[in-house]
Amino acid sequence: MKIREALTHPWFTVRTQIALGLFFIVAALPKIADPPSFAHMIYNYRLLPGPLVNLAALTMPWVELLTGIALVCGIWRRTAASLVGALLAVFIVAISLNLFRGNAIDCGCFDVADAGKSVEERFRDMQFVILRDVGMLLLVAQGLLGADRAESDRAA
Amino acid sequence: MNLRRFLAEAGTLVGLAVACALVSNALARNERKLPIPGQYPNATKVTARSGTLPLAPFEAEPGAETPVVSGPAPASPPEPAPGATVRPSVPPSRPASPGSNPASSAELLARFPVHGQPYVEITGEAAAWLHARRALFLDARRSDVFSQGHIEGARSFPVWEAEVVKERVEGLVAEGRDPALPVVLYCSGGDCEDSHMLAQALFGAGFENLLVYRDGFPDWLRRGGAVRAGGPA
Repeated sequence: MKIREALTHPWFTVRTQIALGLFFIVAALPKIADPPSFAHMIYNYRLLPGPLVNLAALTMPWVELLTGIALVCGIWRRTAASLVGALLAVFIVAISLNLFRGNAIDCGCFDVADAGKSVEERFRDMQFVILRDVGMLLLVAQGLLGADRAESDRAA
Repeated sequence: MNLRRFLAEAGTLVGLAVACALVSNALARNERKLPIPGQYPNATKVTARSGTLPLAPFEAEPGAETPVVSGPAPASPPEPAPGATVRPSVPPSRPASPGSNPASSAELLARFPVHGQPYVEITGEAAAWLHARRALFLDARRSDVFSQGHIEGARSFPVWEAEVVKERVEGLVAEGRDPALPVVLYCSGGDCEDSHMLAQALFGAGFENLLVYRDGFPDWLRRGGAVRAGGPA
């Protein structure tokens, strides 16, 4: 019980949500600056039908940016955290599918330029990215629990 | 928090994101603009790695100048100064610059006749032979990558910059080139498919003899081929 209270303490919750928000803001900026490169990255995942590749490349970074700003500013925190969680779940599934079918890709998470990595390096990076995204999902869960506690504290 | 409020907030965030995306795309320069919807017929196909497709047959002519540099590969790609022509570090049998050995259309067509497919892949040796005979080379990589260094004489056709490449394909058609003449397309080799995508676009525009240099620019550098840096040609 005490652990849960510590983990959902407002002091901790605010800082983790700001960190998560900053992470998404930083991730969004290079994609917004260079949509064709990000479209190329999404294409390399070989998951989205052709007509949706460009639409996803244009809108996803803006969703990341706006949810990141919302988390940093503490606006609609629960909704923003939920959207970030949904994005992370999509990333984890997409990268896992490509790992499973042996399609080595650059994740396109923070850098949309072709890094010129070898297939082995890409596979290693993909495994790391999955672990990192799972870690970030835990931060999302912490944010949602923290929001619950804040609401119940207010109600009390 | 009730569901209605959550959906309203989520809808607002996503709607705002879509609006920002569309406005920024509308205001973007041609190199940054994306067409909606995208046209990628192979978007969900995981393609075979390079090296699994057959290459167009090519044999160097007996007694002819060897268009390929043998010798060790450079440790890292050279960083040419803007506008400078980079000469390979092992010069004895470097591929000739365009113009040094102009070939007739008949010579090009004799070695690379029209194949009736959107493209066929060629080796670096064949690419060097074609380069030495002033065949048209098109670089399918991004324009900023092209500026950092490209095959001498190549033109930039950045396939991921849809507006730019559309204009350039139209321009190429308007030049009235013989569509049967070989055109060499390249990108970054490996699993890069930009040159294959460009070939599909050019095939659709009427070009009949498209040759994809499979190992692309990294292979050209390894061979010590002539490289130039600078803006799109």
